[in-house]
Amino acid sequence: MQKERLMNLFETFDPAVKNIILGVLDIEQEHISMERPRVKEHIDEIVTAAAKKEVEKLEAEERP
Amino acid sequence: MKLERITIENFRQYCGKQRVDFAKDEQKRVTVIHGINGAGKTSFFLSINWCLYGTSVENIKIIDNVGELMSKEAVSRAAIGETVRTSVDLSFLHNGERYQIKRMLQGVKLIDGTVKVEENDSFSMMRTRADGQAERINNPIGTMNSILPANVREYFLFDGEKIDNFAKPEAAKQVKQAIYLVLKLEILERSRRHLEAVAVEYRKELKNKSGQQLRDLLEEEEKARTEIQKSKDRIYAVHQEIDSAEQKIADIDKRLREMENTNILQQQRDRIERELKQRRTELEEIVNTVQGLATSGYFVVAEGAIKKAILLLEEKRARGEIPSDFRQQFIKDLINKMVCVCGRPFDDGSEEHRTLLAKVSHGLPDALQDEVLNTCAVLQAFEQRTEKHRADVDSAMRRRAELVDIIRALDAELDDLSRQLKGSPLEEISKLERNRENFKADVREYNFEVVILHTRIDELNKKIVELKKEVDRARREEKREVLLSTKLDLAQRAADAIGEMYQSFADEMREKIQDKTKEIFKKLVWKESHFQDVKLGPDFNLEVIDRYGYSARPELSAGERQVLSLSFIMAMSRISDEEAPLVMDTPFGRLSSHHRNAIAEHLPMLASQLILFVTDEELRDEARQNMESRIGAEYRLEFSSKTSCTEIVEVK
Repeated sequence: MQKERLMNLFETFDPAVKNIILGVLDIEQEHISMERPRVKEHIDEIVTAAAKKEVEKLEAEERP
Repeated sequence: MKLERITIENFRQYCGKQRVDFAKDEQKRVTVIHGINGAGKTSFFLSINWCLYGTSVENIKIIDNVGELMSKEAVSRAAIGETVRTSVDLSFLHNGERYQIKRMLQGVKLIDGTVKVEENDSFSMMRTRADGQAERINNPIGTMNSILPANVREYFLFDGEKIDNFAKPEAAKQVKQAIYLVLKLEILERSRRHLEAVAVEYRKELKNKSGQQLRDLLEEEEKARTEIQKSKDRIYAVHQEIDSAEQKIADIDKRLREMENTNILQQQRDRIERELKQRRTELEEIVNTVQGLATSGYFVVAEGAIKKAILLLEEKRARGEIPSDFRQQFIKDLINKMVCVCGRPFDDGSEEHRTLLAKVSHGLPDALQDEVLNTCAVLQAFEQRTEKHRADVDSAMRRRAELVDIIRALDAELDDLSRQLKGSPLEEISKLERNRENFKADVREYNFEVVILHTRIDELNKKIVELKKEVDRARREEKREVLLSTKLDLAQRAADAIGEMYQSFADEMREKIQDKTKEIFKKLVWKESHFQDVKLGPDFNLEVIDRYGYSARPELSAGERQVLSLSFIMAMSRISDEEAPLVMDTPFGRLSSHHRNAIAEHLPMLASQLILFVTDEELRDEARQNMESRIGAEYRLEFSSKTSCTEIVEVK
């Protein structure tokens, strides 16, 4: 499937970046029939969730 | 996506309910629907499109200029006021799950024979998962976009008459759009663009915030803390200086006490200093008492108002308004019974009646009367307290003044003693006293410095409390800043990652489609030796190269253009690996038998499911034979000239 091919395309990237891309691809797929889709909020949610995880991970690493 | 079954009800010339089961087996994957011109092939084709997408999705027209969707025969058969319903049910399989969709349009037949159709059709979607659990889908449009988007559908559900569109010289834009949509390059490009846009917003937001603020505040707090520590160190050092000076004063005093010439004066000084200490302690206590009286005597401020209130209440008492002679309730009971206090009845409007009514209207309600009496007592207590308070303050102030005078007198006595000692003809005594005075001055200065230092420490502590609040605020801000900066980093990296992979992926897809188109085209076209190559360049022009190395597209016949277009569509379907049916309305209309035979032979193997709407002429003889083994279901559309309706008949 083309979707799997796209997922494999980002296999070598940082998992956080890869997950964002896959989440955004799903959102874009759902809105593909729209010329001007309103996806900014959805994308922000995906990026924020990933960023929160990253910050938590960093904080846990810094803790003695 | 694999279509299973369709049920059409009152859709255009399909009157009543009619059902078709599509072939979907691996071996027999072709459904053929025969119909002569006007029998209803296009209507059937439209019913699938309408069921999946309605008349339009966003600004994509699905069904346009085809007249009424509702069956005219169904309308004519309906009684006035009766509801006429047009619906299409479609079930299909996708990713191991069964989907059931239904689109319905309703209307009521009016007296003039027309139908008042509801403004919007209704669309519902159910999904049955592999475990048998069924659920209604709340976002059917989004789900359809994930299965087969409306703007991708035209490459799978297509009108055979428009099939050569991709092979026209001006079709590069359409070819590019088709590749972008079917191979999800459009999704990839949109994802990159939108991630880039959110990254720009994050960057702007981040610029408006500054981590410098927290650093500055922490630095300021650190400075304040250092200054406090320095002040405390200084206080400690100053106290040591004070102790040292006081020790020296004590030594001098001892020496003066021992010396014969100064013994009496020093003893006198000792006594005065003891008394001075005592008086100063007493003065301190008095000052504290005055401060206490000042802060607790708030009611003194209200003295004027209290006096006025008491006067008003006294006047009311003098007029007999409070307390009343009788309780209000008692008077009301008498009026209700129309009986005087003495037990004699009276008449309505009589003098007794009027008197009692006047007492009710002038008197206060019982509860309020109680409140007023309580207030009187409280106010009088306040008045007494005010007087006592004033007396206490006056007494304390008088004592304070007395003590100040006593202390002044004692200080003057000490000064006089010191002058006597300093003026002593004996050098040692004079020197001792001068030194003593210097040490006393040192102690005073040191004590003054200690006061200054304590004041500064208090100020700094207050500042630290404020700074801490600001630091907390800035920390919260900083945390948001850290998150924002991480968001920016991730969004930008995701956009860059797509950008990095996009072009090579797009080129790879274009080349794959080019190769597959060439492979299919060579199978389908009968002049395969004349056409050497098929090219799909970066400009997305679909080009056929002849054996001389020239572009052959301008010379292609209408049939050859159709074959090229079909090859391109099949190539996209194969490369995308999308499990989508290929539904073609009259695909062989303009093809000669050579092409028809070749397509009939190869097409079933190039699509996971094939549904063909054909005329009798389109699929016969060798073409029919080539496809025969793949046909799993076959129907005939029979148009009745009596009813102008089409009946779908299964061909056994």
